[in-house]
Amino acid sequence: MRRRELSFVGIVVLVSLLMSLSGFANAAESKRGGTLRVAYGNRISHLDFHTAPGYEMMWVAMNIGCGLVNITPDGQFVPDAAASWEGSPDGKTYTFKLRDNVLFHDNTKLDAEAVKISIDRLMDPETKSGMRRFYEPVDRVEVVDPLTVRVHMKKPYAFFLHMIAGYRTGLVLYSPTFLKKPDAIENMRRGEPGSVIGCGPFKFVEWVPGDHLVMDRWEKYFKEGQPYLDRVIVRVIKDPISQMAAFNAGEIDFIASFTPEHVNTLKAQNPKAQILTGKETTPMAALMKVTVPCDGKMMSEERCPHPIFGDQRVRKAVACYGMNRDEIVEIAFRGQATPWLGIIPPGTMDTVDVNHLCPYDPKRAKELLADAGYGPNNPLTFEIITDTEKAVFNAIATVIKEQMARIGVTANIKLVDKVTWLNQVLKDAPWDMDVEDRLSLLTLDSNAYLSVTDSSWNTSRHTDAKVDEYYARYAAEMDPEKRQAIAKEFQEFMADKLYWNTLSGSPFYQAAQPWMKGYTYNAEFEVHYETVWLDR
Amino acid sequence: MREYILKRLLQVIPTVLMITLVVFAMMQAIPGDPIVALLGDAYDEEDAIRLRREYGLDKPIVEQYAIWLGKLLRGDWGESYLSGRDVLDDVVLRLPITVELIILAMAVALIIALPAGIIAALRQNTWADYTAMTSALVGISIPDFFLGILLLLVFSFALQGLLPSSGWVYLPGTCPTVVCNESVWGNLQHVIMPAIALGVGRAAILTRLLRASMLEVIRMEYITTARAKGLVENLIIIKHALKNALIPTVTIMGLQVGFLIGGAIVVETLFAIPGLGTYGINAIITRDYQQVQGFILLVALCFVLVNFLVDLTYSFLDPRIRYGTQR
Repeated sequence: MRRRELSFVGIVVLVSLLMSLSGFANAAESKRGGTLRVAYGNRISHLDFHTAPGYEMMWVAMNIGCGLVNITPDGQFVPDAAASWEGSPDGKTYTFKLRDNVLFHDNTKLDAEAVKISIDRLMDPETKSGMRRFYEPVDRVEVVDPLTVRVHMKKPYAFFLHMIAGYRTGLVLYSPTFLKKPDAIENMRRGEPGSVIGCGPFKFVEWVPGDHLVMDRWEKYFKEGQPYLDRVIVRVIKDPISQMAAFNAGEIDFIASFTPEHVNTLKAQNPKAQILTGKETTPMAALMKVTVPCDGKMMSEERCPHPIFGDQRVRKAVACYGMNRDEIVEIAFRGQATPWLGIIPPGTMDTVDVNHLCPYDPKRAKELLADAGYGPNNPLTFEIITDTEKAVFNAIATVIKEQMARIGVTANIKLVDKVTWLNQVLKDAPWDMDVEDRLSLLTLDSNAYLSVTDSSWNTSRHTDAKVDEYYARYAAEMDPEKRQAIAKEFQEFMADKLYWNTLSGSPFYQAAQPWMKGYTYNAEFEVHYETVWLDR
Repeated sequence: MREYILKRLLQVIPTVLMITLVVFAMMQAIPGDPIVALLGDAYDEEDAIRLRREYGLDKPIVEQYAIWLGKLLRGDWGESYLSGRDVLDDVVLRLPITVELIILAMAVALIIALPAGIIAALRQNTWADYTAMTSALVGISIPDFFLGILLLLVFSFALQGLLPSSGWVYLPGTCPTVVCNESVWGNLQHVIMPAIALGVGRAAILTRLLRASMLEVIRMEYITTARAKGLVENLIIIKHALKNALIPTVTIMGLQVGFLIGGAIVVETLFAIPGLGTYGINAIITRDYQQVQGFILLVALCFVLVNFLVDLTYSFLDPRIRYGTQR
């Protein structure tokens, strides 16, 4: 017995020793110091993280700011400023215990009050935050004690942790001391030195709009030993060819978002480059306008069916049987995406493959069109609006135009710049079909932002309250299995109604130099540099 | 002369105001508004309405213009709708970069055009003339951005980073921000490719123009007289012929500044240079009216100033030209 006990102790000691040695080896591996040079393809709009749009801003917010929790690529929640958390079984309260060593960059200690102030600010309509809609289920935030905060929901909400971790910026905490300063938010927005205060691994140094942003290591960061880098310089290089040239010349260590159409070229030119990609979480869509204002006034609440796509038969003829998704992906994405019909892309949680509901069948498409009154004597003509932000949009529109010709339909392409496109689709202008990708989706719930009836982003302007009911049921269901069943039913429903017409996933690529180590790819959701180190 | 200068300076004011008015009207006419760009993927109709009211974008266009003009007269160039940053600060920050780029592009153009134009005229209908004119035709035909891409592919990529592909290094003592590099050599490395990309097209135009004026001038009687007097040929060409032949060239150089600013928008974007060109294009893309107005105002002022200097240069090139005096 004694011998067995001794051997057990021996094994434990040996395992512990090995584990500590391996940990030591990892720590020794990670080199400290250096400057990471990052290229972003778009400008950062401004630096009030609660209100600024765009991924580029989010990727800055994630490194200057901190939140309560983060999410890993496999969907696990990991602590950020919260040491632990607990959700009530009914999904109506979430309680967070905060770490006691978190300091904002103005040396204010992070406490429950800071969390309350930050969430309250996001929920305040006066803030005009794009995150406000996500916080609608939140009733109030309670400060239990300086290191405990409880969030009360109006109704059960299964995705609160997902939301604060990865819906757009997630929750970015602001320093209460800083917020009390006069013009604090205006100065932050402008990126005045010393005015962008977060609690993340890097502190803000400088921002020259359209050119560069600099952040330095925050020495008092709450995660021991991190970040490894001394400095991160984000440079705006819009042109993909220029990005590639800078990358190949070694002027850039990391391209945060790289265009899919140039991936093969980059691989061929720079075989040692790390090309990072993963699940497709962004939908590439060709949405059809379902309703139009009856009185002709844009955004009018009185809706009438769209003269073409108000008829479900035409929607099905054009987008279900008339579109060959495989061909679109093959030509426009050079095969580097997944043909997909479901409302949420193939990489999003609870996604279901419903492609079989819309097999490519031009004959069936023509029959449906004839049924709806279209044919050689009354040919169908519609307009596809798309924008110049990505070359692939126009390529997709062109393939669709060709596919429409095969079923006797004329599709005219209207190519505009991004802001014009936004104005057209968001303001209920007279358009028929729009081709663009949408926001990266962590969950089906996050797509409610884009497709419930009263959302500004419900660009097809469908008025079907059943869609809202599905989203509400899904978000309130705390049992994952039952939730999956609702998700499946909903995706089949949408594939039938085609209020939302997905074509495929939209692949996301990042490119890193071989010497950039420690980075964890997590699509657009999480771009963190705290674990990055340079091996050179 | 003084009267002339004063008169020209006074003409600048209505010219610039007219330009800003036209640009303001044009910006309003193109689809899209800055609030949509400001909210982007976070767009919400209620927020958009609130912001439009906050920024005065719900007011009539004439009133918006009057407000902008009123502020301008008080020295306030306005604030960017997107970033809230002071427009004057931002354009002044970027102006020196674009000015340096344009000066060097013009230098590149002159280095090529002066000898090429003179030789082509003096050796008319020889291989030297044909080579110069064919090169000029090629130069005019190649767009700035295409030449820029070619240069990038050769000097940054094929020659493995011989010249940097993007960014900017400031001349010593000129860095306006907290973090930036300063060095003469680094500056030259960063500016050379964009300057060539911008300058070659201008060189081609100037070569053709200079050749034509030189051909005209060297056939004039005073040149024949100079030759008859036994003056050295080089002296005749440089001192007597070139000086007069330069008058139309200098006029075109002044006008070319406008094209150079337009070209700078493309070239600065390609080489990711933080100059006025990238500022202007971003402002237009995002419909940031305040930034566009600031950009246009500054460009217009520069353009008018350059052409004013060009006018003054005439009197140096041709002493017969004297402003404000009765002849």
